[in-house]
Amino acid sequence: MKPLPNLSPSPRSRRVFIRNAGRAVLAAPLLLQPWAGTAAAEARPQAREARYYEKKPEKKVACQLCPHQCQVADLERGSCGVRENRGGTYYTLVYGQPCAVHIDPIEKKPLFHYFPGSQAYSLATAGCNFSCRFCQNWEISQRRPEQVQSVRMLPEEVIRQARLQNCPLIAHTYSEPVIFYEYMRDCAALGKENGIPNVMISNGYIQKKPLLELCRLLGAVKIDLKAFTEKFYQEQCGGTLKPVLDTLLTLRGEKIWFEIVVLLIPGLNDSREEIENMCRWLSREMGDSVPLHFTRFAPTYMLKNIPPTPPDTLLQARRIALAAGIKFCYIGNLISDAEHTYCPTCGKLLLRRLMFSVENEGMKGNRCKFCGALIPGVFS
Amino acid sequence: MLFSGAALAAAPHLSALPPEAETEKSLVVQAISPQLRRSENDIPHTAAREYLNRSLQVLTGRNDPAAAWGALFSRQEIVGIKLSCLPGRMLSSSPGLTAAIVEGLLAAGIEKKNIIVWERSSRELENAGYEISRTGLRTMGSDELAGGGYGSRIASAGSVGTIFSAIMEEIDALISVPVLKDHDLAGVSLAMKNMYGAIFNPNKFHANRCDPYVADLCSHPLVRGKLRLSVCDASRVQFHNGPAFSPRYAREFGGLLVSRDPVALDFCGWGIIDSLRREAGLPALAAAGREPSYIRTAARLGLGRADERQIRKINL
Repeated sequence: MKPLPNLSPSPRSRRVFIRNAGRAVLAAPLLLQPWAGTAAAEARPQAREARYYEKKPEKKVACQLCPHQCQVADLERGSCGVRENRGGTYYTLVYGQPCAVHIDPIEKKPLFHYFPGSQAYSLATAGCNFSCRFCQNWEISQRRPEQVQSVRMLPEEVIRQARLQNCPLIAHTYSEPVIFYEYMRDCAALGKENGIPNVMISNGYIQKKPLLELCRLLGAVKIDLKAFTEKFYQEQCGGTLKPVLDTLLTLRGEKIWFEIVVLLIPGLNDSREEIENMCRWLSREMGDSVPLHFTRFAPTYMLKNIPPTPPDTLLQARRIALAAGIKFCYIGNLISDAEHTYCPTCGKLLLRRLMFSVENEGMKGNRCKFCGALIPGVFS
Repeated sequence: MLFSGAALAAAPHLSALPPEAETEKSLVVQAISPQLRRSENDIPHTAAREYLNRSLQVLTGRNDPAAAWGALFSRQEIVGIKLSCLPGRMLSSSPGLTAAIVEGLLAAGIEKKNIIVWERSSRELENAGYEISRTGLRTMGSDELAGGGYGSRIASAGSVGTIFSAIMEEIDALISVPVLKDHDLAGVSLAMKNMYGAIFNPNKFHANRCDPYVADLCSHPLVRGKLRLSVCDASRVQFHNGPAFSPRYAREFGGLLVSRDPVALDFCGWGIIDSLRREAGLPALAAAGREPSYIRTAARLGLGRADERQIRKINL
């Protein structure tokens, strides 16, 4: 394929950083709703053979993509709902079938240390390997491919659209990119070839082998660390904690840029003890340079009976993280000074954020312009 | 003659009350006959009608088929017939049996327009040999409806959080028509597991042999309050390697199980599968690590009975 024009993110001036805070709103979302047609029977998803699975006797398959390791009999689907065994061959039903396509600022993901101020051509398919009771995007993540309205958009078209929309990044986001692995992988490979880095916004519930393959193709990763107890993962998410920690360790070893987000839900994962344990582990295993975001919960899906996270809880969590030695800790879904990036050496304000807009106050390249300290991340 | 000798001996008096209320046992009527074996992948309609009506008469204590159906369903109700059609024509709810159910409902005075024969998708129905009809007596997949068949109203029951098919909201009464089959993860997939086809996210509830998910789902008022009859197509039984059709482990059984208690029906169906497995030299489901423990969980939730001392099994 002929390479597309290079759209690599370039160093940003203060003006560039400021731009387009409202662009995501202006750019009409292509789709983000359940299927609204009347003849969905025609919409049987097109299938493509899955990448990570093992054939078993009697037409069974063992999925090797995520830690669920679903054993799937003929005609059945894995826990994600988007992979189906057809006669002993395992297929993904969502390749090239996004049901949500938007243009978002990269800060919305959030990735704060990865080309700040850039727009990301963002897409998702139906399905998820978790069943979080607090999912903000449950209308697509918890549905099966035939239950949502999708468009046909192969990787070549994704790259073309990103270029047309002047998006220097592509984000796999909203639902769970791991379950549309093959699609994301091919987009990332093609994006890399064409100078459009791809990022994955994920729960981190993926096996090591497919993750390593992704690390060679993606530009950055954001991992949702849902909590720091197995109980929470099992009761609220339908998963387990340890594989997510393993993913973080793998990412750390691979040197790919990544950031971590923790959604604090009152009464479920916001105890001081749990946050202290989490921050100690992160500081010890991840080092002090991986940005950590604590974000505010809003009642939704099956947790409508829990109030939004009090600001004090978020501020306390941030204090705990900073005390544990984590240098970049942010608060999200709440307007505060904790959205900004400060130099950990001289304490000066480097990047000022308001919602999804970014203003460069003190960055020069990837350094603090006041003291010259190197700021971890990918800024140019 | 309506009943065989054995069935007559066990048959209830023709009272207005269903026998369960008198005996405090759940009735499961079982018919096994060469006439109920599949011919060209379908139960002969006349045999299906005969055995089904006799089963209903035993269950309700009525000596007339129309009265038997009328004892379970009233004229003004909208009745859904939930089929099980995932495996295609070889192992789906037989059209001949479904036709017999529809005839029974019509005999009870229910209007055609108030009967919905349905599955998750129209494609599955067509693959199982059904003709899609969107008007009159509807035969259709839930996916024919707006929103893919599922709205946005979230339903919770125990461990299950889901959205039901809009058809479940529309109907007043439900008949579950499973096929007697083994299930790789659940152990067996019968009357209760068939309800996985009524929700938008069944893939989320297969861990731990579907226990307690199947039971929790069936405890939701939309199921518990509407599931009035279970009719299990045991004409061809998949006793291993289900839920897809696998001829090596299928038996032309020529059977039919009918009950008002889905837990009791599932319990009896599990017993049949285990006995066929034994005959084939296979371990029982429990020994194979696939005990359908959700059936006993459902009994503990009070959805029915899963104890042979509390089940009255009547062979036609």
